[in-house]
Formats: sequence, C-alpha cells, structure tokens
Amino acid sequence: MTHLSVSGVCARYGRKQVLFDVTLPDLEDGHFIGILGPNGSGKSTLIRCLSRELSCQGSIVLDGVSLASQSSRALWEKVATMPQSPPAPSALFPMELLWSICRALGMALSDRALSQRIEEVLALLGLDDQALAPLSTLSGGQRQRVGLALCLIRDPDLLLLDEPTAALDLHWRLTVLELIRRRLAHRGGVVIANLHEVDLAARYCDGVVVLGHGKVVAAGPPAEVLTKEVFARVYHVEAELHPGTDNRPSLELIRPLSSQHRPKHDSDPSGS
Amino acid sequence: MVSLEIRHGRLLRQRWLIIAALAGATLLCLVLDLLAGPADLTLRQVMRGVFDPASLDPRDQIILWQVRLPDALIALAVGAALGLAGVESQTILDNPLASPFTLGVSSAAVLGASVALVLSPALPFMGQAAILPVTALLFALGSGGLILAAIRVLGGERDTVILFGIAILFLCNALTAALFYVADAEATQQIVFWTIGNLTKAGWVEVVIVTACFFAVLPFSLRHVWLLTLLRGGEAQARSSGINVDRLRTLVILRTSILAAFAVCFVGTIAFVGLVGPHIARLLLGEDHRTLIPGAALCGALILSGASVLSKTLIPGVIIPVGILTAAVGVPALMALLVLQRRRP
Ligand SMILES: Nc1ncnc2c1ncn2[C@@H]1O[C@H](COP(=O)(O)OP(=O)(O)O)[C@@H](O)[C@H]1O
Ligand SMILES: [Mg+2]
Repeated sequence: MTHLSVSGVCARYGRKQVLFDVTLPDLEDGHFIGILGPNGSGKSTLIRCLSRELSCQGSIVLDGVSLASQSSRALWEKVATMPQSPPAPSALFPMELLWSICRALGMALSDRALSQRIEEVLALLGLDDQALAPLSTLSGGQRQRVGLALCLIRDPDLLLLDEPTAALDLHWRLTVLELIRRRLAHRGGVVIANLHEVDLAARYCDGVVVLGHGKVVAAGPPAEVLTKEVFARVYHVEAELHPGTDNRPSLELIRPLSSQHRPKHDSDPSGS
Repeated sequence: MVSLEIRHGRLLRQRWLIIAALAGATLLCLVLDLLAGPADLTLRQVMRGVFDPASLDPRDQIILWQVRLPDALIALAVGAALGLAGVESQTILDNPLASPFTLGVSSAAVLGASVALVLSPALPFMGQAAILPVTALLFALGSGGLILAAIRVLGGERDTVILFGIAILFLCNALTAALFYVADAEATQQIVFWTIGNLTKAGWVEVVIVTACFFAVLPFSLRHVWLLTLLRGGEAQARSSGINVDRLRTLVILRTSILAAFAVCFVGTIAFVGLVGPHIARLLLGEDHRTLIPGAALCGALILSGASVLSKTLIPGVIIPVGILTAAVGVPALMALLVLQRRRP
C-alpha cells in the first residue's frame, strides 16, 4: 500500500525561493491528485522535489521512509517521473528509449518479456506504428505519449506527471486520464499530476491543490476548491466551473481580469 | 502484424551485420595498408611475413615489422580511440559538433609538443623523441583535468563544458602561436609537421600504449551503453528517471580526455576522424549505443586506415602526412553526410 505525506516543503533555485511551506493532503493508496496553478507558480518545482531531482527542505515521506534517506535503487523502483519536456526529437526509436531505461535501471526481465512489455505499453498509448520510428519524426503529442510510456513501463507506485496532457489532442487527453484512473483502480499506487485543464482535473482527480506564487492557495475536493474566487485570485480570470451531469464538470471562461482586480498581496513575489 | 520483438530482433541482427561488415572492411584496409609503400612487397610475402617473419629476407623483414606493421596498427588504434572518444562526447554533450578536439585536448597536445620542440635544445639530457610525446600527453591530460575541474566548480551543464573546452582550445592555439614567434626555423617546421599529424613516427611501443589505452577504456564505455542511449532521449528524461547525469558527464569526459590525449600524443592532430567517424556510425547504426559504440570505433579505425593507404598510394614514392588526408577526405564526407541526412524522410 503506497502512502505519501508531504509537508512544509521549501525549495529554492540559488537564492530565489520558489516553494514556501507546501503541504499536501495525505495521499493514500489509489489517490490521484491534481496540482493546479498558473505558469511559474511552482508546479514543476514541486514535482522535482518529489522525485528528488531538486533537494528541498521539509518532509516528504513515502511508505514510512523519508524520501531523502531512500536509496536511489529503492527510489527508482518506486517512483517514476514524467518531466514537462517530452523526449528530445533525436534519431532514437521509442522502443530503444524504453529498452534502455529498463536496462539502465537494471530491471530483471528477459529480452522477450521486455519486448512484450514494451509492445503492450506502446499499444496502450497508441504508438504501435511508431515503435521503430525516429523520435524526430513523431509529433509533439506522440512524443509526449512516449514520455508517459517511459514512466508506465517501470510500473511505479508513485507516478509524478508534469503536465502529461499539455500537448495531447482531445481524444488522448481523455484517454490518458482514463488510463491513469483505470491503472489506479487496478494496481493501486499514487498519482500526482500537474494539470492546466481545470475541468478535467475536477473530473478525474480525487483532490486538487492550487498553487500560487509557490504557496498552497487551496486544497481539497475539486468541487469545493475550484470556486469563482479562486479563479479570480490565482488565475486572474473570471471563470466558473459548472458541475454538469454525470460528474462531467465544464469550465466557463468568461474574461481575463485586468491587474487592478488582482488582490495586492498575491502578486507580491517575495511572498513573505 | 509482426510482433515488435521480431521486428526489433531483425533490426538488431541487421546492425550487427553492419558491424561485421565494418570489421571486415577494416581488416581489408589493414592488409592494403601493409601492401602500400615505396618498397614492393607482394600480398603473399606480407601474409607469410606476418605469421612467419623468418620467411622474409632481412630487408623485407625490417620494412614489414619495423615500418609497415607499426604504422598500420597505430592507424587502427588511434582511429578507434578517436571514434570512441568522439561518439561519447557527442552523446554526453548532446552536440553533433562535439569531438575530442572540442574539449581542447588536441590543441593542448599541440601546445605540449611545441613546448618540447622549442625547449628541447636547452635540455641536453633527454632525446626529443622521448620528451615530445610525454609533454604532449601531459598537456592533453592537463586540459582534460582543467575541464573536469571546471565542471566541479561551475556545475556540469553541457553548454558550460563546451564553452570551457573551446576557451581552452583558443588559449592553447594562442600560446602555440606565441611559441612560433620565438621558435627558430627548424622548430617551427617541426611544429607544423606535428600539427598536421602523421603516422610514420610510430613504433611498437606507441602501438602498444595506444591500443592498451583503448582496450582499457572500452569496457567502461560499454558499461554505460544504456545510460548513453537513454541520454539521446533528452537530458530532462534521464534526470527525472533518477540518472545522475552530472556524474555520468564527468566520467565520460574523463574517458574521452584520456583516449584523445593518448591518441594524439604520438601522432599529432588527426583532423575529423573523431567527428566524422561517429556520424557515419550513427547514420549506419542508429542511436542504440550497444551497436553505436563499437561501430564508431570501427568507423574511426577504418577512416584512418583508409587515409593511411591513400597517403602512401596517392603520389607514388611520397608519403603525404595522413592528417592532411583525413581533413581532405573528412570535409567532403561530412558535407555528403549532411546532405544525405537532409534527404532522409
Ligand atoms: N532552473 C531554474 N532556475 C531558476 N529559477 C527557476 C528554474 N526553474 C524554475 N524557476 C523559477 O521558479 C518558479 C517556478 O517555476 P516552475 O516550478 O517551473 O513553475 P510551473 O511549473 O508552475 O510553471 C518560476 O518563477 C521560475 O521562474
Ligand atoms: Mg511547469
């Protein structure tokens, strides 16, 4: 059973502090949490802290062990991260990329089993025909799916996704989120994803955390968190999330708010 | 539809066949290299002489064993070392123009050799022949050490590494030019000769040293094939997969500096082999470093060996310095490759 607790995380790049005392609700097995927030609010930085790519202060405890004291080996086995940028458009084939990550991480699988697993994961993401095509010939959305495949192939307990749907078309946006939900129902684990599609986050996530200027502005069940006030305060838009039918909320974007509508204290970057 | 396993297996087999073909071509080139030269030796004499030196008369024995074999073998060893160093530095710096020389290693070797050439008349106890490669090696290793130190201080960002390497390159070139200024005519001539690069001064000791260096480094390169392949998917992917890219970069730069330093310290600057060899290998074999690494080493060996054959046969009776040929052959080859690459779908 995966369990993740994150509290009081502070992170900085050089002298510039970008995360201030970020605490997430405790994440139990099967949870899917969406991190929302405008550009530059610290979503990617939070993912980097959670994957230990960036060292930070605060406590991140995965399955009862502090993240900082996990061995790299244990971390690799449990956590997979999809960075915001998709795989580079080189002459490498998706198949070779997936193959090399599994071998680099020392997965104990025969060549045959590994081939089959790669074929399954690529098929799941609609990349059957691209398995042996150079990454440079793939579209941005296809490469983003290769990036997701790179995480899924490792079958992690904790899946950290930085804007996994950003480059995807409508079909794959829904498909990928459905896939994540189905995977959670199937095998458990915890998923944390940075998302910009507020309506999809409200539909698929168990909870959302809204970041603004590196601080948690609001956290909790989507319907409670995503109010008109939060949209105005954090995103500087007039917008409303309609509940919709069958748990399919829709976002009505009305207009951007000019800077005089922004509450003063929120645009203060020093944050202190 | 055929399963991915079968299609991938087919691809891999095809690539190993290409490697076998490259190895065959290199072997052929080696034989041609042994045949080429001012003194006439037949294929039969050469083959017999290699396996049974006593069968040759003393003059031919000396030509084969003291001149042709060391020259031909050092071409293979230096070419392979430069190919390996080139492919690794291109991958680790994610830059198609990277080569051992981008790191400044080669210009440092030239500077070291120039220092030896200018100073050696003042050092009566040591022969120039011994001191020249030693200073070249020390300077080349020193430039590698400087880059590693820079990585420690400035961080392992690849652009920092490239810029620092190019800074070293220009610094060494400037210092070499300064030495030109004070050197006498004979030393100047020798520096030029050394800058061009030639294989004819190599003997068995040099062959053994460069070959040993290559085979000592190769296993470490092969141990990193998966990480290097993964890196072709982008540094961000590798980093977020938990790969310590900075450590990998340090190790690879250490390896390429050592390889390049040993490769150039006896034979001088060999242009383009470390750049073009890996590119040809990439075009033939793709980006899977399992096959790319041996392929690039073979391509480097093949190119330099081919250039060595040309250097002895182009103008009968004259041995053109091989560095001139690698540049003359390398530039058009690179252009042709770039055009071909453009045309590829
Ligand atoms: N490598 C970096 N060096 C310095 N500052 C950075 C770096 N990456 C991000 N930042 C800064 O940190 C803040 C948060 O960035 P990020 O986490 O990428 O935001 P988000 O993913 O929410 O758009 C921004 O103000 C950005 O300018
Ligand atoms: Mg981001």
